[in-house]
Amino acid sequence: MNNNGTLLSLENVSTHFFTADGIVKAVQNISLKIKKGRTFALVGESGCGKSVTALSVMRLVPHPQGKIAGGKIVFEEQNLLELNEKQMRSVRGNKIAMIFQEPMTSLNPVYTVGNQIAEAIKLHQGKTNQQAKEDAVEMLQKVGIADSQRRINDYPHQMSGGMRQRVMIAMAISCQPKLLIADEPTTALDVTTQAQILDLLDELQQQEKMSILLITHDLGIVAERADDVAVMYASRIAETADSKTLFANPLHPYTQGLLKSLPRLGFTGKRLPTVAGIVPDPLHFPSGCKFHPRCPIGCNDERCQTIEPEIRYVAPGHGVACWYAQGYEKITDKQNG
Amino acid sequence: MSEQSKKLPKGRSLWSDGIHRLAGHKLAMAGLVVIAAYFLLAAFIYISELCNWKISFLQWGDKIGREYEPPNAKNIIGTDFLGRSVLRKTIYGTKISITVAFLASILSIAIGVPLGAIAGYFRGAVDEIIVWLYTTLSSIPYILLILAFALVLKDKAINLHWAGLGTLELRGIASVYLAMGLTSWVGICRLIRGEVIKHKDREYVLAAKSYGCGDGRIITRHLIPNVFHIVIIDFSLRFVSFIQAEVILSFLGLGEKNSPSWGAMIDTARLDLPKGYWWEMTAATLAIFFISLALNVFGDALRDSLDPKLRIQ
Amino acid sequence: MVSNNGYLLEVNGLKTHFPVRKGLLRRTIGYVKAVDGVSFGIKKGQAFGLVGESGCGKTTVARTITRLIPATAGKVVFDGIDVLSADKNQLQMLHRETSIIFQDPFGSLNPRMTVGGIVGEPLKIQRKLVGRKLMEQVVELLSKVGLSPDHINRYPHEFSGGQRQRIGVARALSLRPKLVICDEPVSALDVSIQSQILNLLKDLQDEFDLTCLFIAHNLAVVEFFCDVVAVMYMGRIVEQAPAEQLYRNPLHPYTRALMSAIPQVDTSRRQQKNKLAGEVPSVFNPPAGCPFNPRCPLAENECLARIPPLKQYGEDKEHFVACWKC
Repeated sequence: MNNNGTLLSLENVSTHFFTADGIVKAVQNISLKIKKGRTFALVGESGCGKSVTALSVMRLVPHPQGKIAGGKIVFEEQNLLELNEKQMRSVRGNKIAMIFQEPMTSLNPVYTVGNQIAEAIKLHQGKTNQQAKEDAVEMLQKVGIADSQRRINDYPHQMSGGMRQRVMIAMAISCQPKLLIADEPTTALDVTTQAQILDLLDELQQQEKMSILLITHDLGIVAERADDVAVMYASRIAETADSKTLFANPLHPYTQGLLKSLPRLGFTGKRLPTVAGIVPDPLHFPSGCKFHPRCPIGCNDERCQTIEPEIRYVAPGHGVACWYAQGYEKITDKQNG
Repeated sequence: MSEQSKKLPKGRSLWSDGIHRLAGHKLAMAGLVVIAAYFLLAAFIYISELCNWKISFLQWGDKIGREYEPPNAKNIIGTDFLGRSVLRKTIYGTKISITVAFLASILSIAIGVPLGAIAGYFRGAVDEIIVWLYTTLSSIPYILLILAFALVLKDKAINLHWAGLGTLELRGIASVYLAMGLTSWVGICRLIRGEVIKHKDREYVLAAKSYGCGDGRIITRHLIPNVFHIVIIDFSLRFVSFIQAEVILSFLGLGEKNSPSWGAMIDTARLDLPKGYWWEMTAATLAIFFISLALNVFGDALRDSLDPKLRIQ
Repeated sequence: MVSNNGYLLEVNGLKTHFPVRKGLLRRTIGYVKAVDGVSFGIKKGQAFGLVGESGCGKTTVARTITRLIPATAGKVVFDGIDVLSADKNQLQMLHRETSIIFQDPFGSLNPRMTVGGIVGEPLKIQRKLVGRKLMEQVVELLSKVGLSPDHINRYPHEFSGGQRQRIGVARALSLRPKLVICDEPVSALDVSIQSQILNLLKDLQDEFDLTCLFIAHNLAVVEFFCDVVAVMYMGRIVEQAPAEQLYRNPLHPYTRALMSAIPQVDTSRRQQKNKLAGEVPSVFNPPAGCPFNPRCPLAENECLARIPPLKQYGEDKEHFVACWKC
C-alpha cells in the first residue's frame, strides 16, 4: 500500500535537452508528492519546465533530443523510469492519462471522435468494437456532451474548442486512470467555457476518485481548484505548499511578486506592482539562485548570486528555496514535506 | 551618427542562423565544395577565352591521338572519334552546362517569383489569370514545350534597339536556356504563391498596412524576404533538372553545335557504345552525376537549415 | 478638425458581415455577422475598453474602423472625418493618426527586419525620414519603451515575448498617433511581464495624451486600464458603463456570468457563481431574438423574439445595457 496516500512521487528528477546551441536543463532536481484524490497544481511561466515535468512523468519527452537525466518517478510503488517501453505503454492512458492544451492538434482530424475514444478503450481493456463504442457513448455523456449517440460520429473540426476538450477528457478517463495530468487544459478556451471544463474536472475527480496534476500559469485557477501547489521557476521548484497556505503566506519573493502583480478585479491603484526583468533564457540560466536578477533582495546579495538554495521545509508541507525566506536559515537539513 | 551605428552590436539574422547550421552539416559542405569547383571551372573557362589564354587542358579541339583510343596512361579518358581528348572535352563541357543551367534558373526565378507574389497577394482576378496561365503551361508536356520554344527562338535575332540594347542574336545555346527558363517558372511560381498566401494575413503585414505601407512595398520589403528561402532551395534543386534537361535537348538536335557539351557527348557516344567505346559516355555521365549529387545533398541540407520553423526557439 | 462633444472617435451602427461561399459556383449561402450593429464613442484622452470572449467581434471592430477590413454598413467618424468613405489623402491621414498594437509578439514583427527597421518604417513611409534623423527618432522611441540603442540592429527572434511587445509599442507610437488601438496587448505574455507592459502603456498614455481603444478578454486588465468599458457578445455591445460602475454593478446576465467565471485568487472577492450553460452559438447561425437567450437564466418570450437595443439604464446617462429584463 502507498505511504500516507501518496500516489505519485518525483524524487530529484532532471530532464535535459540537447540542442544545436547547447544543453538545456529544462527540469532540475524536482521533487514533489501527489496524494490520492487530491489536485496538485504545478504553476509557472513559459520556459519554467512545468510541461516538461509532465511529459517526463509520462515518459513522453521527445527523443533523442530530450532525456530524463536523473531521479526517480515512483507511481504505485514502482519506479516508472525502470520500466521498459512495453510496460510503460500499459501505464499510459490506463493508469495515468494526459490531456493537453490544444484540443485541435491533440485530436486526430481524420478519425471520428468515437473512434478515438474507442481506440483507447480497446487498447487497454481488450473490449470488442461494439462494446468499446457503447463505452464511448457513455463517456461522452459523462463529460457533459448532449446527444452523445449522434456526436460519436462527429469529426474534431465539427466541434467547438470546449467540446473538443471534453472529448479529450473523455478519452483520458475512459480507462479510469488513477492520475490525470492536465497540461494547461483551459488556456486555449474562453473564460466561460474554462469554468465549465474545470467544474467538469472537479466532478469527475470526485466520481472517479482520481488525482489530478494540473499544469497551469493561471494563479486564479490554482487558488480555486488546487489542493496542493508547487511554483516552478527556471527549471526548479521555488516554493511548494498546500493551496491555502501558499496564498495566505507566500514566502518566496517570486511567489510574492507574482501574486502582487496580478491584475485583479477591484484594484484601485494607478500602477500595478511588477516583477522586474524578464524570464531567463533556458540556455543561459543565471548563476546561483535563478531568480536573483529579478529579486529585490537577491540582486544585491552575493550568496544569492553564487549559491543556489535548495528546498527546505520551514513548516510541515511548506517548502521554499530562498536564503531569505522566513524560517529558512533555521532549518539545517532537508526534511520531508 | 554613422559612427555610432558602427559601434552597435550586429544582430543575428535568421539567414546567418541558417548559414551557421548549414556550415555544421559536413556532407552539405562537401557538396558545396564540389559545386564551387564546377562553377569556378566554368568561370575560369570564360575568363581564359576572354583573355585569349592558351591553356592546354582547355584545348579540346586538338587531335592528340588516334581515333577511339581507350583510356591509357597518356589520355586518362581516351579519345573520341576524331582523336580528340575526351578529358578536355568533358572539362570544357562544364562551361556550357553550368551556363545553361544558371541562366535558365535565373530566368525562371525572374518570371516565377514576381508572378507568384502578385497572384498570392492580390488574389481575385489577377490570381485567377496567373493560375490559369501556369496551369495551362504545365499541362503541356514539358519536352514538347521546350522543343517548341527552342525551335522558334533558334537563330533568331531579336530587335532590342528600343531598349537601347542593340540586337540580341540567339545562337544555338541561347535558345535552349531561354526555352528552359520560359517553361520552368511554374514550379517556383506555385511555391511562392502558396507562401505569400500564408504570409499576407500575418499580423506584421497588417501592421504595415495600418501605417500606410503601399502594396508594392509590402510585397517587396515584407513578403518576399520572408519567402525567399524557398527560392534559394528551389534554385539548387532546379539546377539539377536543367543540367539534365540539356542532355535531352542535345538528343533532340538543339543546343550547342560548335563546342562540346555533356549532352552532345552523350548523344554521339551512344552510337559508339555498341561498338565497345564506353569512355566518352561514361565521362560525360559521371560529370553530370557528381554535380547533381552535390546539388541534391546541398539542396536538402539547405532546406533543413533555412526553414525558420525548424529553428529551436 | 474639431469633433463634436469632444469625441475623437464615433462609431454608429457598424456592421461587418463576411459572406460564406459554398458549392461549385461559389454562391453566397449566408453571412457570418462578425459585427452586427455596434455603436460607441471615445472621448479624447479616454481609454475605452472592449471586452468579450473569442468570436464576439471585438478584433473585427478594431480592424474595420481602421479600414483593414471593409465594413458592410454603418458610420465611423474619426477626428471629424468620415472614415468609411475617406479618399486617398484622408486615408493616409488615418494611417498616421491611428496605430495598432497587436496581440502576438511573435507574429506582429517581421522576422527578417531589424528592430530599427521595424520601428523606423512608419517614419520612413509617412514622414520620409532617412539617415541620422531617422536613427535619432528610433533611438528615442526605443528608450521610451525601455529598450536600449544596442537593440537597433538585432532581430525579433533574439528577444523575449515582453521585449517584442515593447518593440511593437514603439512602432505604434512612432508617428505620435492620436488613437492607439491595443488588441489584446498582454494576453500572450507571461504573467510577470503583463504588469510591466500594462504600466508602460499607462505611462505612455499619460505622456503622449493618447486616446486608447483597449481590447481584451481579461476583465481585470480592462478594469485597471480603462475609463469606460463595453462588453460584447456575438457582434453586439450588450452593456457599457464607466469601468468602476460596471464592476460594482453589472446588469447584463452575460456580464455577470463573465465576471464570476474569472478565477480569483482573492477569496474575499469570490462571488456567487453564475454558471453559464452551453457554448457560444455558431456565428453563422445565430439564435433568433437576443443572441444570448439560449444560455441566459432570465430568458423569456420577448427575449426569443426580438433583439434588445442598447439603451440607457434608468437615470444613469453613462450606463447602457441591451436586455429586456433589466
